[in-house]
Amino acid sequence: MSRGRNKIRRRSGEHSQTVRPDRANRPSSVLLTSLGGLLFGLGLLIANAQEVTDELKPLRFEGYPNAREAAIVPRKDDLFFYPCNQCHASMEANPEIRQLNAMHSVELDHGLGRIWCTSCHNLENRNYLSTLLDEPVDFDQAYLVCGGCHANRHKDWLFGAHGKRVENWQGVRTLYNCTHCHDPHSPAIKARAPKAAPPVRAGLKLERATEHVKSRVWDSEEEHEEQ
Amino acid sequence: MSNDGSSGEGGSNFDKARRNFLRGVGVGAAAAVATPAWGGETFQDAFADFFQKDYRRMSAEEIEAALERIERRAKRRYDVEIECENTPPQQGVVFGYAINISRCKGYRDCVHACVKENNLGRDSQIQYIRVLQMDQGDFNLEHSDHYYDPETVPVEGKHYLPVQCMQCDDPPCVKACPVEATWMEPDGIVVVDYDWCIGCRYCMAACPYWARHFNWTDPEIPAEEINTDTHYLGNRPRPRGVVEKCHFCIQRTRKGRQPACMEACPTGARIFGNLLDPDSEIRYVLANKQVFRLKEDLGTEPKFWYFSD
Repeated sequence: MSRGRNKIRRRSGEHSQTVRPDRANRPSSVLLTSLGGLLFGLGLLIANAQEVTDELKPLRFEGYPNAREAAIVPRKDDLFFYPCNQCHASMEANPEIRQLNAMHSVELDHGLGRIWCTSCHNLENRNYLSTLLDEPVDFDQAYLVCGGCHANRHKDWLFGAHGKRVENWQGVRTLYNCTHCHDPHSPAIKARAPKAAPPVRAGLKLERATEHVKSRVWDSEEEHEEQ
Repeated sequence: MSNDGSSGEGGSNFDKARRNFLRGVGVGAAAAVATPAWGGETFQDAFADFFQKDYRRMSAEEIEAALERIERRAKRRYDVEIECENTPPQQGVVFGYAINISRCKGYRDCVHACVKENNLGRDSQIQYIRVLQMDQGDFNLEHSDHYYDPETVPVEGKHYLPVQCMQCDDPPCVKACPVEATWMEPDGIVVVDYDWCIGCRYCMAACPYWARHFNWTDPEIPAEEINTDTHYLGNRPRPRGVVEKCHFCIQRTRKGRQPACMEACPTGARIFGNLLDPDSEIRYVLANKQVFRLKEDLGTEPKFWYFSD
C-alpha cells in the first residue's frame, strides 16, 4: 500500500503480546481530554514529535515456534475517535445488543450476524480491543483479536503468505496490521475500477478471445459444435 | 525521423538520388564529420560507445566510464540528472517470486507502478506485466484477455493472473541470443546489456511467456516522470532497437527494497524474497502452499510461482 512509506512513524514497541492497561493513563490522552477538541490537532503534533525519536521495535510473536520477528505498523494514529475514553470514560457501558447510531453508525458486515461490538471491543475500557477471553488488547495489536477467529490467516500473515510487508524484502521486517487493509466492520475488500488497460498496438485490432470462445471441461459437445 | 517529406517532393530525380547517396554515406562513415551526426554527443562519447565491450568483459574503470556516459546521454536526451549504478548481486541471494492468485483482483496497480519505476516508453506501449483475465474454471491462456476494462474489478465469474518475466533458471532466451547480450546473474535475475543487444529478437521468439519486448522507437518519457535511480542492467533509459524485459527491479532489490509491482499491490498478492534463506516469506509459501508454475512442462524452471488459498 503506497501510503505506508511516509506514514510509518517510529515509536516504542507496543507490539509485544503482553497487554498493558496502564497505558490508558498516558500523558497525551490526559492532555487531550483536558484541553478538549480545539487543541486536538496541537496534541497530535506533540505526540508525533515524541514518536519520531523512538524506535519501531521488531518483536517476536510467541504463539508459533520459529516465528520471525516483525514490527507492526502502528494503527492508532489513523483512528479518528481514538482515544475512545475521551467520551466513554464518562458514559455508562451498555452491553445490550442494538443498532448503533449517532457517532458510530457502523454497518456491521462481519461474521454473518454472529458477532457484535463487544466481541472485539473491550466493554470496560474502550481504549482497548478485546480477545475471546475478554483480555484487553491495544488497537495497534488488532491482529491478536483477528487471529482469535482467523487463526490460519493470522499464521499466514505472520509468516508472510498473507498481507503486506512494508517496503523491503531484507532487513527489519515491518508488517501492516490486518486493519490497514480490511475494514474490521466490513472486512471484504471492495471492488474498484482498474487502472487503464494497455493500449492496442498501432495496426492491430482488439479481439476479445474470452467473448467468443468458451471451452470448459464440463461443456457438452453440442455446445462446442454450435460455436 | 529527421528526413522531412515536404521538401523531397519538389526536388528533381537527381536531387533525390543525391540525397539518398549522401544518407548512405552518412550512415556508413560519418565518423569525424559534424556534431549533429552524433545526436549531440561529443566525439569522445560516441567513439567510446562504439567500442564499448559486453558488460561482463568490461573492467571496473570501463564500467565506471560507461555509467558516466549513460548519465551524460540521459542529460542530453531528457535534460534530467540520473544516477546510473551497477550494484553487484548479493552473496547467498537468489530471488524468487510468488503470486497469490486468489488475492489478485485485477486492479493493474502493479502494471502502472512498473511502467513508472522502470522508465518504460510511454509511447512505445511496452508493459512488463500483463494481467490476464480468465473465466473461472478456465485456465487456457489462449482464452485470456489482458485488455479488460470494466467499471469495477473483480468481475463476477472471472479470475486474474498477472504474467511477467518468470526469471527462468534455465532461460531459453539466453540460449537463443547470438551475441550473449543477455544472461542470468548470480542472484537469478535474467538481464540484458542494452548496449550489446543487436535487436535480432531471437530471444522474444524463444520466450514462452511473452516476457520480452522490443523498442521499435526511442522510448519517450516525460522528463518529470523519469526515475533517476537507475541500474546499468535495469531501468536506465534504453535506446531504440533493443530488447528489454522485467528484471525484478534490479535497482531496488539488490539494495534490499521490494520490486515496484510488489510495493504497489494493494492486496498483498505478491510475495518476493530470497530463495536461499529458509526463513524468508517465499520459502514459507513454497513449503506451505499448493504452488504451481506456468508452462512447467517446458522445463525452463521459472523462479516464479502461483498459488491460491
